[in-house]
Amino acid sequence: MVAIRLAPERGAGGGDTEVTAAIDFLGQFAVTVGFLKTRPVVAIRGQADRVNALELGAILDAVIARHLFVVLDLSELDFINGWGLGVIAARASRLRRSGGTLTIRSPSAMVLRMLDTTGLAELVRLEHPDPSLWRLGAEQSIEIAEAPATEPYVLVSQIARITAIPADNDVVDGALRLVVALARVTVGGADGVSVSLRRHGRLATVAASDQTISAMDASQYATGEGPCVDASVKGRWFHAESLDTETRWPAFTPRAQALGINAILSSPLLAAERPVGALNIYSRSAMAFAPKDQELAAVFAAETSLVLTSAGVDVTDEQLSRRRSEALGTRRVIAQAEGVIMEREGVEADDAYSLLCDYSRRSSRPFRERAEDVVASTRRLRIDPVSRPGESDHD
Amino acid sequence: MTETSAAERPADVLDLYRRDAGLSHGDLWLRYFELGGMSNALELEAILCGALRPSVHDREVIAHALNERFVELGRNHPVPYSQSDTYWPREKNGQT
Repeated sequence: MVAIRLAPERGAGGGDTEVTAAIDFLGQFAVTVGFLKTRPVVAIRGQADRVNALELGAILDAVIARHLFVVLDLSELDFINGWGLGVIAARASRLRRSGGTLTIRSPSAMVLRMLDTTGLAELVRLEHPDPSLWRLGAEQSIEIAEAPATEPYVLVSQIARITAIPADNDVVDGALRLVVALARVTVGGADGVSVSLRRHGRLATVAASDQTISAMDASQYATGEGPCVDASVKGRWFHAESLDTETRWPAFTPRAQALGINAILSSPLLAAERPVGALNIYSRSAMAFAPKDQELAAVFAAETSLVLTSAGVDVTDEQLSRRRSEALGTRRVIAQAEGVIMEREGVEADDAYSLLCDYSRRSSRPFRERAEDVVASTRRLRIDPVSRPGESDHD
Repeated sequence: MTETSAAERPADVLDLYRRDAGLSHGDLWLRYFELGGMSNALELEAILCGALRPSVHDREVIAHALNERFVELGRNHPVPYSQSDTYWPREKNGQT
């Protein structure tokens, strides 16, 4: 690394001058700051990742402190991940607020796609982008899907860095678009990704990897059903492994199939532990999501929830009060089920609870549902007069 | 039901699970209460941070409350229960 000089060289005679601002020992990362007349051109060569993020940020800060119109030349950029994008997003946002512009010159197809899906493209000016590289729909095959070489979990944990800037809706939306882009390239089987968020009392798609996916979400809002709607309302995970055999959403399922989708994984997004939306991952193939992909989706959703919580996206008192009533109702059903098991199995209360707990765990169904089963089973027994001698409560 | 035990380290682990599940103390208490837990919110917090030792039953309710949350998030029962997995009498005794 050499010292940074960030003004045009004096006596340069109007020609281009260039200053090497940073270079690493392996030559995998270099930043040069050149000047075209008075306008700074920051060129990144190699990899913009975690290792270099701090340096890149410092250089951009130094340039931005003196110039409103900055060009970022990415023609020699080989790789960029959440750290690099986060650094650029923060500076683009700051320049824009001060009335300046960050121009991104010669981005590769991959970078262009990431800029587009993360919403960064809206914060910057793009120089000579090839229009054919924009808006790659779900049916197109240009592959940017080489997953970044770093561990996805590490990438995910960087999402919140973008919202380290005071959060307004634009910044939150930018972070959500980054989530969508990262999930799209890291979750195996993902052909499309979106984030739905409740705003002004209704669900809306805040970020989507393409128009097909937006249409898919819109179908769910229109029919009022689907994994995305359920995950957003109930605050739990919904996985449709194969739409061919899916029965939970009869109005929505045929619409999704018509758009070529066969598997959906919707994970809840929470702000201050209340459901406010969903991270939706769509695939053209049935059974597309392996356990590790499901786990990764869960991690993405958890990290996104942190972003939403820190951004103060929240829910109403009415929802909290409804939740408390539900809790009381469940508690009552569980107490009834315990009583039934104590009677049937001749066990103490704690043992009855353990049996119920075990029953719920083995079936992977919520405790409440299992308790309801047990209580419901007494209704069938009631027909037998021997089980309730002297009592006849038939209507 | 509970007794003081400053050396109860596994409780710390429970609090790590709580954080991993993204639940506040208040939200975990509501879930614990929903599943039949009898301690109040302050006692639950004391259990989680290791200041109070939970009864076997309380430990089970807390583990189940956390696990139900993990299942909702697409993860499979990571919190161990205090009872063994072969508790169910039908399997244990081979009778109906």
